[in-house]
Amino acid sequence: MQQGASVPADIVEALASAERRARSARRRRLLLGIVLPLLLLAVWQLSGRNGTLFGGALPTPERAFHAWWAWAFANPSPGLNPYLGTWFDTVIFSTIRVAKGFGLAILVGVPLGILVGWSRVAAASVDPTIQLLRPIPITAWLPITLAIFGIRDFGAVFLIMLGAFYPIVINTTQGARDVEKTWIRAAQMMGASRLDVLLRVVLPAALPSIFTGLRLGLGIAWTAVIVSEMVAVKSGLGYVMWDAYYVGRMDIVIADMVSIGLLGYLSDRLIVLLETWALRWRRIQSFNG
Amino acid sequence: MGSISFQRVSKYYPGKSIVRALENVDLKIDEGEFVALLGPSGCGKSTLLNLLAGFENTSGGDIAFEGFPVSKPGPDRGVVFQEAGLLPWLTVWNNVVFGPKVQKKPREDYEARAREILTLVGLDGFHDALPAQLSGGMRQRVGIARVLVMQPRALLMDEPFGALDAQTRLNMQQLLLDVWQRLRTTVLFVTHDIDEAILLADRVCVMSARPGRIVENIPITLRRPRSIDDLTSPEFIQFKARIMKELRSHLAEH
Repeated sequence: MQQGASVPADIVEALASAERRARSARRRRLLLGIVLPLLLLAVWQLSGRNGTLFGGALPTPERAFHAWWAWAFANPSPGLNPYLGTWFDTVIFSTIRVAKGFGLAILVGVPLGILVGWSRVAAASVDPTIQLLRPIPITAWLPITLAIFGIRDFGAVFLIMLGAFYPIVINTTQGARDVEKTWIRAAQMMGASRLDVLLRVVLPAALPSIFTGLRLGLGIAWTAVIVSEMVAVKSGLGYVMWDAYYVGRMDIVIADMVSIGLLGYLSDRLIVLLETWALRWRRIQSFNG
Repeated sequence: MGSISFQRVSKYYPGKSIVRALENVDLKIDEGEFVALLGPSGCGKSTLLNLLAGFENTSGGDIAFEGFPVSKPGPDRGVVFQEAGLLPWLTVWNNVVFGPKVQKKPREDYEARAREILTLVGLDGFHDALPAQLSGGMRQRVGIARVLVMQPRALLMDEPFGALDAQTRLNMQQLLLDVWQRLRTTVLFVTHDIDEAILLADRVCVMSARPGRIVENIPITLRRPRSIDDLTSPEFIQFKARIMKELRSHLAEH
């Protein structure tokens, strides 16, 4: 790096203006990104008659928003209307299930993936089972889950765990398999035990793949929580959605859908934040060749 | 301490036609001796080093380190890899103390030494840098430091400066000469660079390929301590001429 010598003023100005241009280009892209959703919302809103489309099947965005507002902030009425002031509780029910199922999936999937990727014996004895079970969609597990756990929380948590487990275990396995041989040899040369190699080399080396698995798994976890709440329990966003559909409250259905999308998006951002922090070492670029 | 012996060591790799990477290699390295293995790529010189390091098993013959057969890698034989092989998620400091840490040594046993060695290799002020922030030469300095901190009884170096530019390579060669002058550890140094082999080693073992074997042992009697200025001395040129003749005659056989 050069220091001391002052840079000519015209070059400083040129660099600054290039930076300004880049910043305004970024702002333009951001604006372009929100044009399409706003347009769609406007078309949807304007084609409604008396707040609905398709003969009452689809409420306008405005009506869905009002329904959500009441669902979230109105005073809960005693027993009669379940869509007043219950949104936060509902969201928390679903979020806790996702957290439990996703957490269990990590607890099982990451160590198992590391082991399968690292040891040939583990791969030979476990991998075929995983690959055979994987094509069975979690929806196909619903009846057997209900039969075993009944209409109880653990059934839902189990389905979420199962759904999130596959992408986590498969990506972790891939990451553990692709570890640079030199890193492992270096660790062994420095006296690392087998456990040291797993925890201090294979695990951190596999982290980028693990995070890919976590993001995919979390997406499936939100799918799984809705599906399982529709059938296996009597609370949460999935339960409310199905219930609202039965009583014809399509405005609540729409508000529910948006809530799920929002939660999925926010939880994904959370993982990305965690990933950015845990993988700082990958983003740092050389500053001297 | 640090003596090495290869006795009729062979290494074959399976395949459509079996690869004879090494065949009946005999090599004895005394305690404190600096030996360079010189040969074209594919002659099995890195394989020989990997066998001694314990990364791979022999197909036949015996390898002994300090009189005991080699079975697995260990901190008594410090390996410096071609591309340094640092753990990219660890800082320079954590890369250097990785060895003592996993060996569960008490901190006070190694921290002062680690600091001293980082100064010795010119990395003061880079303790908290990540490998990606360092140049190739600096990375290799860390690779050397993390080995020295374990106080190994032999250094195994696998073309450690092969990937560096000419200027950096000279700096690193000088650094290694200075370090070795102080420590006098046994060194097995793999290279395909004739100048490097002569400059650094007490003895140059010339290898030929398919099957890999040692065809010539040439003692380098240049005075110590040496420096990169020796690269242009008349004695140096004489050794170089002799080794080049050697290499050419073995090339002609193939």
